[in-house]
Amino acid sequence: MAERIGIFVCECGPNIKEAMDLDEVVTFVQGLENVVLAKAFGLLCAVEGQALIAKDIKEHDLTRIVIAACSPKEHEKTFKQCLEKAGLNPFLLQIANIREQCAWVVEDKALATDKAKAIIRAAVRRVAHHEPLEVKEIECQPHALVVGAGIAGISAALTLAQKHRKVYLVEKLPCIGGKVARYEDVFPSLECASCILDPILDEVLHNEHIEILTLTEVQEVLGFYGNFLVKVNQKARFVDTGTCIGCGACLEACPVKVKNEYNEGLDERKAIYIPYAGALPNVAAIDKKHCLRWQQEACSACREACPFGSITYEDTDQVRQLRVGAIVLATGFDLFDPARAPQYGYGKIKDVYTSLEFERLVNSTGPTEGKIVLRNGQVPEKIALVHCVGSRSSKFHEHCSTVCCMYLLKFAHQVNSQLPGASMTGFYSDLCLPGKKAQGFFNKISQEGHMEWMHMKDPDSIEITQVDEKTLIRFTDVTGSPREVTADMVVLAPAMEGAKDAGAMAQIFDISQGGAEGFFAEENSQVAPVSTAMEGIFIAGCAQGPKDIQSSVAQGQAAAGRILSRLVPGEKLALEPVTAEVDADLCCGCKLCVGLCSYKAITCDNLKNNVAINKVLCRGCGVCAAACPSGAIKAHHFTDTEVSEEIKGLVRHG
Amino acid sequence: MTEKPKIALYWCSSCGGCEESVVDLAEDLLTVAAAVDIVFWPVALDFKYKDVVALKDGEITATLINGAIRTDEQEHMAKILRKKSRLLFAHGSCAHLGGVVGLANFYEREDLLNRLYQEVPTINNPQAILPQPETIESGKNLQLPDFHDTVKALDQVVEVDYTIPGCPPTPELIKEAVMMVLEDRLPPRGSVLAEKKALCDTCPRRDSKPEPLRIKEFKRVYEAEWDPTKCFLAEGIICLGPATRGGCNARCINANMPCRGCFGPTDNVRDQGAKSSSFVASIIDVTDKEALEKIVDSIPDPGGLFYRYGLASSILKRKMTRDGS
Amino acid sequence: MVDAVTTSFEPKIIGFLCNWCSYEGADAAGRARKVYPANLRVVRVMCSGRVDPQFILEAFKEGADGVMILGCHPGDCHYKEGNLQTLKRYHVLKRVLSRFGIEEDRLRLDWISAGEGDKFVQVVSEMTERMRQLGPLCR
Repeated sequence: MAERIGIFVCECGPNIKEAMDLDEVVTFVQGLENVVLAKAFGLLCAVEGQALIAKDIKEHDLTRIVIAACSPKEHEKTFKQCLEKAGLNPFLLQIANIREQCAWVVEDKALATDKAKAIIRAAVRRVAHHEPLEVKEIECQPHALVVGAGIAGISAALTLAQKHRKVYLVEKLPCIGGKVARYEDVFPSLECASCILDPILDEVLHNEHIEILTLTEVQEVLGFYGNFLVKVNQKARFVDTGTCIGCGACLEACPVKVKNEYNEGLDERKAIYIPYAGALPNVAAIDKKHCLRWQQEACSACREACPFGSITYEDTDQVRQLRVGAIVLATGFDLFDPARAPQYGYGKIKDVYTSLEFERLVNSTGPTEGKIVLRNGQVPEKIALVHCVGSRSSKFHEHCSTVCCMYLLKFAHQVNSQLPGASMTGFYSDLCLPGKKAQGFFNKISQEGHMEWMHMKDPDSIEITQVDEKTLIRFTDVTGSPREVTADMVVLAPAMEGAKDAGAMAQIFDISQGGAEGFFAEENSQVAPVSTAMEGIFIAGCAQGPKDIQSSVAQGQAAAGRILSRLVPGEKLALEPVTAEVDADLCCGCKLCVGLCSYKAITCDNLKNNVAINKVLCRGCGVCAAACPSGAIKAHHFTDTEVSEEIKGLVRHG
Repeated sequence: MTEKPKIALYWCSSCGGCEESVVDLAEDLLTVAAAVDIVFWPVALDFKYKDVVALKDGEITATLINGAIRTDEQEHMAKILRKKSRLLFAHGSCAHLGGVVGLANFYEREDLLNRLYQEVPTINNPQAILPQPETIESGKNLQLPDFHDTVKALDQVVEVDYTIPGCPPTPELIKEAVMMVLEDRLPPRGSVLAEKKALCDTCPRRDSKPEPLRIKEFKRVYEAEWDPTKCFLAEGIICLGPATRGGCNARCINANMPCRGCFGPTDNVRDQGAKSSSFVASIIDVTDKEALEKIVDSIPDPGGLFYRYGLASSILKRKMTRDGS
Repeated sequence: MVDAVTTSFEPKIIGFLCNWCSYEGADAAGRARKVYPANLRVVRVMCSGRVDPQFILEAFKEGADGVMILGCHPGDCHYKEGNLQTLKRYHVLKRVLSRFGIEEDRLRLDWISAGEGDKFVQVVSEMTERMRQLGPLCR
């Protein structure tokens, strides 16, 4: 049965009407094959225009529609809805762009008329081959997995939990709160970190929708958006979380001492430990790597000391399969290791510290109970604060780590509060003070005094050495002159990098890392900062790039928002129909398309010897269809036939 | 008395390989020959042109024409055999797609004749004589069929009912085609009588293909002794298997040579050469412009490589000539 | 060897424009009312990576004197790396086209972002002028 094509040409007021001979155009297109109706109208996007189209569809039994008007980018959606209301599948429409790409850019009326005729003729030929595509729906899980219980992950989890979504919050450490839980104060308000954080952590711990899995890591991810199957491994804690109250009796009894990574190695902990005072959950854990029992020695000191019988040596790792609809990766950051840059003397000169080490010194739950002291226990008199260690560097990382200038100012304040007699020197090459509060913070800290600023020519020019008992800092200042300053204590601000295991995470989740710094690549840095190329996998916080607490919270909430809006309980996931599809009768299993898909939407079925395209993951770019050597892949709505007909319409005879 | 079905075989611009393939039916040839009445087969039997003319329209049950159409005579014979036959089979790559003969379409007629009759090192033609359609020799008018500008596939000259693909087709495929006629079990008209899917589906090396397949360097067959169990593409050798219809039992692969595309494209593909260039480009794992130019330059003759059999029936069919020349 | 081209020859040019960048760029030129030669006829695709070499050959066969593929700048492809496939295919096809006697300039690949209405106009104008110089493609 022949198609009955209706063509509606929009005058667009004077815009199209006066740029060409519209009567000639309408007469011409009326005579094209399969066209039963062609007419012009003042403004098709207006209510009357749409009513006209709907009426004519019914009256003339139209099966396909061509609308010659403005760019499809303007009103394609509107006209698709118009078709739908009139009972016609919205994909049986082709828009002919005779305004932005014809009337508005061709001066000569005759030429514009000719061009419009060709454009409409192409649309007519193409639309005859359109398929009535259907929007399919699939079941999906409304629940989510959040990897990383730092401030970004927690923000995401709480936002999701507010809408009663079940959230699995997976954390590789035995405690939650991430880096922020180990800071003393936060900038710019200088509020105490635990005052802000503890109520939030408390909420997370007691939220009925959030299941926290500490000592847990993701091992495998299968499936796709709406239907992920995630395998996680929860390592044995060897302490019963139900009965342990964190009294610390076991810590006293344990004979093993190891470097305490929670205090950045500045002190020691036991093989059974609570990461730091106030760590939540307030439950001990046994470090299997150092505990004597796993070194083939008999020891039950902790069990004997425990008044509640909470020690459970029989614990084993537990593997679980979690079914979720979406995943948020909030795995945070690690600092650049200054030992990689010998010029800073880190690791060689004993009182050169990283910023995280200083955070622990200043923290009341830290190795010195909050006292700023040197390794020998004495109070420092001259403190150097060194900016851009590995950031903005030609040798290491190009990027600025965003927060260092601010936290070094915070440190200055903390020094001034605790050690009013101490003097400080800030070594900087540029100051990063963006946004509402930063400049004001700088001004306030400057007013506190005791700070001298050394403007370096470039961050890589600094050199820190030990001379007698003093630490000597040599650098080239901004005028090009060599300078020297001494200090008792040096605090370095190392660059922020992605977490050390980010690479392994990227492999498991099949997402990309933008560059060598280890951060995960966002889908689009302008308009899609928390999603990735893998549909359904979101990133938030410092895992995406260096940022402060406020921005990490924002991204965590943003990721949660994205999930809440698209995965709705009881609703199915609507699938975009303009996707590619493999004809299993033609697919020879050459598998050449598999590696071409940026979204990993094509998988092999080795038993059937062909490939299949996942409708959820496919974004409809058509790259696979163009590459398929046997023409077995059909790019719906951009099929070979449709494009071929369009080409013929555009260039055949005049 | 039921008459045996009449069969004819003819060759146009061809190498004789398709005829050889018929002979290669060996014992089966006797079975087939016994079941049919061959009324015309210039390479093997002594029937004349006038015998064909004398037949009634449609009297021949099936005619197999191999070779491409390049001269007046070939075109004429194709047309007359079409008239006299109920079913016409394009037999072999040349009839199907233009074949290797079709590669002449990358040149102008004049260039070909000049090259052959004047420029080649082995020619001795001081008077620069070129073949003519008509010459007077000792008072007699001698005629040669005119040599066309452009090589054509059989279906560009007459309606073709079925195609037996290959350069040459395997004896099995030829036998099967004839048996389909004899047993009245032909598929829909227009079908190519081989596999529907491309060669990879039935290739013995299929399982060795890595996924994803990415090439940093193209290799030539002469460069090494290739592992007979590994996919050629995975080794960097351009194999047109993915773009070529299967049904040949992977005979080239089994002889440790990559597929050259003689069975032509699968049903959905309009231009095998274009699709071949597309997939070969897609597996290149190089993005730096200079490196990309280098790796593409390493393919000695992409046009000839991708259009080895299908040039005459490709989208463009032949080299574009300049206005007026 | 090239015949003198009469001033009345107006080439037909087919352009494959990707939905996210170059098509948007063309629309931007339109919104700014920038006039450019009317010879270009546009086929909209979602990604320049959809452009099958068969389309290009078909365009030449059906009557195009020149063909353009305009995609997103490398690194900006809406679909991550679709334009990279286009780039590779273009380089291979270029060499194939030369055997067909189709001059290199008749197929042009360029990158236009959504905001580059001006660049779009420039590229189309250049292409049109070059096609006028080359004359019609003989079929």
